[in-house]
Amino acid sequence: MGIFSTYVLPSPGKVWGSFQKMLLSGEVFRDIMISMGRVFKGFAIAFVLAFLLGMIRAMIPASGVFYEYLVQFFRNVPPLSLIPLLILWCGIGETTKTVIIVLASFFPMYLNIVKGFTGCDRKLLEVGKVFGYSRLKQFVKITLPYASADILVGMRIGLGYSWRAIIGAEMVAASSGLGHMILFAQQMSRTDKVIVGILVIGLIGYGTDRIFGWAIKKLLKGSCENGWN
Amino acid sequence: MAGIELVKLEKHYVVEGKTIPVLTGINLQIPEERITVILGKSGCGKTTLLRLAGGLEDPDGGSIHYGLSQRTAFVFQEPRLMPWLDVTGNICFGLKRQEIHRDEIHSIIHTVGLDGFEKAYPSQLSGGMQQRTAIARALAYHPSFIMMDEPFAALDYFTREQMQRELLRVWKSQKASILFVTHSIDEALLLGHKIVIIEKGVVKTEFELPKAGDFRNLLDDKFIMLKREIIENLNVAV
Ligand SMILES: Nc1ncnc2c1ncn2[C@@H]1O[C@H](COP(=O)(O)OP(=O)(O)OP(=O)(O)O)[C@@H](O)[C@H]1O
Ligand SMILES: [Mg+2]
Repeated sequence: MGIFSTYVLPSPGKVWGSFQKMLLSGEVFRDIMISMGRVFKGFAIAFVLAFLLGMIRAMIPASGVFYEYLVQFFRNVPPLSLIPLLILWCGIGETTKTVIIVLASFFPMYLNIVKGFTGCDRKLLEVGKVFGYSRLKQFVKITLPYASADILVGMRIGLGYSWRAIIGAEMVAASSGLGHMILFAQQMSRTDKVIVGILVIGLIGYGTDRIFGWAIKKLLKGSCENGWN
Repeated sequence: MAGIELVKLEKHYVVEGKTIPVLTGINLQIPEERITVILGKSGCGKTTLLRLAGGLEDPDGGSIHYGLSQRTAFVFQEPRLMPWLDVTGNICFGLKRQEIHRDEIHSIIHTVGLDGFEKAYPSQLSGGMQQRTAIARALAYHPSFIMMDEPFAALDYFTREQMQRELLRVWKSQKASILFVTHSIDEALLLGHKIVIIEKGVVKTEFELPKAGDFRNLLDDKFIMLKREIIENLNVAV
């Protein structure tokens, strides 16, 4: 239409055209698979860490002081600011990329998990106690299901953060992946490809989130509403 | 010694720096294979006494002596059901999978009158139905000692009577010891072999009743006399 130059905002037709071209050549699928792999790897590591630390925190309340300050400190540090250090320590391979995603998604998950674990109703824990449950059994049979809504919400937020960190992660010497594709297209002044990349990331993020929301609903079986769906 | 013996039991709570004495020296023998009923006004410390006996709270003074090892089930004053489990799941909560047969779950659900609600979640039940689920959870546990804190307070006249009959049946068939808290004098007279009146942190009076296993007729002269005596006992030192 000529209001914007096609460099600033390419027409939908052009975006669609380059998307089709990328589909046909298959390059977009390869980028998607590689980025997905990185996102899920980082997300999984972050989740396991957040879960274990949250569990220790819930079962041994005194342990909280040991790492609470550390967690609160790093929570406010942008993962991108650590890239120079990470490159020095972990090189420019996959490790650094994974660590960036872990850093981005760990904290929202950790905070939600801790909230779920420590907020467990003491009256329900007493029910476990009168049935002679050990601390571990109380955790598995009461604390964990009680916190499941919080854990799943934390995972959902964490997954979103993992996708958001993909650009930062693939800024580090990547030669493939959606983040790399966008950065490379930017250098080549291919705004249409940038937009394709944004749309693809958004759609995949939305898709995984939907699947997640559906899983939450199945798992909680309507026993506790979480207001997310 | 059998049963549970409480010796000079003391408990106080500290609320905003002030010490509130609740129990100031309870001496009580809770006999085995009998129904002991704790009676007292609201706030006199009945729940506190039960929690101490059940090991949920540590005494500030005195001691508790337990007899042979007991399998204790506890019915709280509130239902305390797991919101993520349905009625069946809640009833089996204290048990391992193999410890209870499906037929038995059905019969327990039937005795508490929850047929058709096996798959309902606590949020879908009325207050009384939740309480009945909690009672069923205790019965399914096959306890040798049952501690109950005003378990039937939320139930209507007829349901309560049915539950009282059921409790008597369980007591008779399983030879369970029962420690039962209530503020209803009629209920105490109906169920108790030993009625204990708590006031101002001590045991004020104990009444022993003959151990007639059957449902008592409270309109009987001797129960009316006893009821009058208990009312006077509760009323004197206001
Ligand atoms: N956790 C607590 N912290 C502080 N005070 C408490 C606590 N639990 C009970 N109390 C106090 O102890 C006293 C006795 O409480 P308790 O619950 O034993 O009464 P109750 O006889 O069971 O009453 P009700 O018939 O109303 O259930 C009350 O004055 C109450 O305020
Ligand atoms: Mg009470």
